[in-house]
Amino acid sequence: MEKTDMLPHKAEVLEIKQETETNLNIKTFKVKFIDNDIRKNFNFKPGQFMMVTVYGLGEAPFGFSSSPTEKDYIEFSVKEVGLVTEALHNLKEGDKIGIRGPFGNGFPLDSTEGKNIIFIGGGIGLAPLRSMINYVLDEKNRDKYQRIQLLNAFRSPEDTLFCDDYQWWENSKDTLVKYTIDEPCEGWSKCVGYPHTLIAEELDYNLPDTRVFTCGPPIMIKFITERLQELGIEPSEIITTLEMRMSCGVGKCGRCNIGHYYVCKDGPVFTLEQLREMPDEY
Amino acid sequence: MMIKKIDKNQFKELFDKLKENYNIAAPVLIDKNKKTLVEYHYIDDFDKIDWDEQADSSPKNIIFPQNAPVGNDYKEKQYYDTEQDTLILGVRSCDIEAIKTLDQVFIEDEMYIDKNYKARRDKITLVGLSCPQRNKSCFCDTLGFNPVESNYAPLYIFKDGNEFWIKVKDKKFESVFENLPDGNQDKLEELIEKRINTFTESSFELDIPIPLPEKEMFEADIWEEMSEKCLGCGICTYYCPTCYCFNFIWEGKDGESTKYKNWDSCMFSTYSAHASGHNPRDSKEKRYRNRIMHKFSYHPLNYEGLGCVGCGRCIDRCPVNLDIREALKLTEKYLEEKGGAKSGKD
Ligand SMILES: Cc1cc2nc3c(=O)[nH]c(=O)nc-3n(C[C@H](O)[C@H](O)[C@H](O)COP(=O)(O)OP(=O)(O)OC[C@H]3O[C@@H](n4cnc5c(N)ncnc54)[C@H](O)[C@@H]3O)c2cc1C
Ligand code: SF4
Ligand code: SF4
Ligand code: FES
Repeated sequence: MEKTDMLPHKAEVLEIKQETETNLNIKTFKVKFIDNDIRKNFNFKPGQFMMVTVYGLGEAPFGFSSSPTEKDYIEFSVKEVGLVTEALHNLKEGDKIGIRGPFGNGFPLDSTEGKNIIFIGGGIGLAPLRSMINYVLDEKNRDKYQRIQLLNAFRSPEDTLFCDDYQWWENSKDTLVKYTIDEPCEGWSKCVGYPHTLIAEELDYNLPDTRVFTCGPPIMIKFITERLQELGIEPSEIITTLEMRMSCGVGKCGRCNIGHYYVCKDGPVFTLEQLREMPDEY
Repeated sequence: MMIKKIDKNQFKELFDKLKENYNIAAPVLIDKNKKTLVEYHYIDDFDKIDWDEQADSSPKNIIFPQNAPVGNDYKEKQYYDTEQDTLILGVRSCDIEAIKTLDQVFIEDEMYIDKNYKARRDKITLVGLSCPQRNKSCFCDTLGFNPVESNYAPLYIFKDGNEFWIKVKDKKFESVFENLPDGNQDKLEELIEKRINTFTESSFELDIPIPLPEKEMFEADIWEEMSEKCLGCGICTYYCPTCYCFNFIWEGKDGESTKYKNWDSCMFSTYSAHASGHNPRDSKEKRYRNRIMHKFSYHPLNYEGLGCVGCGRCIDRCPVNLDIREALKLTEKYLEEKGGAKSGKD
């Protein structure tokens, strides 16, 4: 797909999965491009994003939540917060939407090879991480990476996401998966507390050559990055994604800038080291 | 290069000849209920052209219209509005430089070429106009631009009383001008020299590094004071010939909707507001800072050249008289006090 094309390509909604129930309304959409050529030529990296059009209404950016190793479909997960996200939530299987992209830099897959990886995802922030988790845990890629650890944080048991993946994540080779919720809750036997308070006790954080990927609400990212540094992880090994309001996706419309960087084009993935160099406006 | 010198009547004949092959836009005086304005409009009549006043709005309005359809949903049609060839007559140096900036952003960046902009731009020829005198608030020369000459326009006019000198810089147009009387190059140079001197006399002096040092000026404490009166109306950005922020919107029912590219403004509080309610630029000082920094730091860091051409329109139009020159002076003072400024590229 040409980047210069500001019109989306049509895609069909194959499946809609209600992830969470009450507190946060999150659905995962499995879609495929109608046009075969577009489908075949559409390549993306975990951490990149697409602009999704609800025809006649508007467009909004969403990260890929499926791995590029899945060739037959694309998935993205949407938290209902406003106009476009609400319209997406009202779609039915078989409906058509528009997609353009992929945009942004994506996670650094190559330079992460040979490293130990920790993923810390909070709420809908787990969506873009899931794309990378599924990629590195894929049979074809698993041996390229060392130990893989996940700390998945949710507000409550009601808010857990991607439950269908848990089993195969847990059963993957040399992989540790932890789950936490904010407050104790009847019937919950896993961790309790904000994720930054659990890194030291629940994860093997001090393996050599560890890289941490973290996505979630800004306040969580703030606490996690502070804690990781206290624990001796280098800012260049702490990787996160930023969210900004976006319209074009290609560094032109202007709204996603932080200083002279455009999050849509120079991001959305940044290391903590890069963020420190940038004006503090996000 | 060809130099021609013609009088008003000859130009009028030329205009009528050009009309056969081109749409022609030029600055014209319009009387909107006695509140007169000079704006670029498509015209048929040579006598309507206002050669003397700087236009209130810039030719950006033609090259990058405020609302323009990008395409249509299910038909997957793109609108390139490739109509007829167009001449924009009487574009002054500041506006020529501004169009250069828009060209940089929308067609010269390999990352993304705006097809709609390009299609429109490819059909447009700029006919420059040497600026006759400094306007109330402009300062293009301070920023290093030349008000009386520009190389970016393939055709360039020097008006001297009722006489018009025309520099034909692009061979493509030579046949159109062939039969007109030649002008004397030395005489023209003399005229240019004389005119540039009238500008230097009243220059606004400024000594700042370009690009402005990004983090240092971002953290400077001048923005609150500077932006105190700002209403966030966005007028400065709408009149600015280089401001190009836009928003895509879809209009119409599902199945027959159209995507539009509309002007937007970083001075609006909703511009960067997230769906969560969080807004990275949640105060007018942050928005004002972004506008100035974009022009003098971020744009120069990403592209060659400045994001402001010193046309002065934002100064004349601001309802509360915020003056970008003051912001630049405060910047100069701030960096001086910090002890010598380094540019953002060092
Ligand atoms: C790179 C990137 C990746 C993303 N990935 C995901 C993802 O995987 N999953 C996901 O769910 N989200 C993701 N997002 C966020 C998602 O794009 C937004 O939630 C979405 O754009 C909201 O669009 P909307 O039309 O539903 O909301 P809008 O209608 O634009 O607004 C939502 C809410 O905000 C309010 N609002 C609107 N404007 C303002 C304002 N100016 N001031 C205050 N409140 C306002 C509205 O009243 C409404 O309640 C991502 C964002 C980015 C940038
Ligand atoms: S910022 Fe003001 S002076 Fe500079 S180009 Fe824009 S309108 Fe003209
Ligand atoms: S024109 Fe003046 S008041 Fe309006 S947004 Fe610009 S600086 Fe603020
Ligand atoms: S989304 Fe338009 S510049 Fe980033």
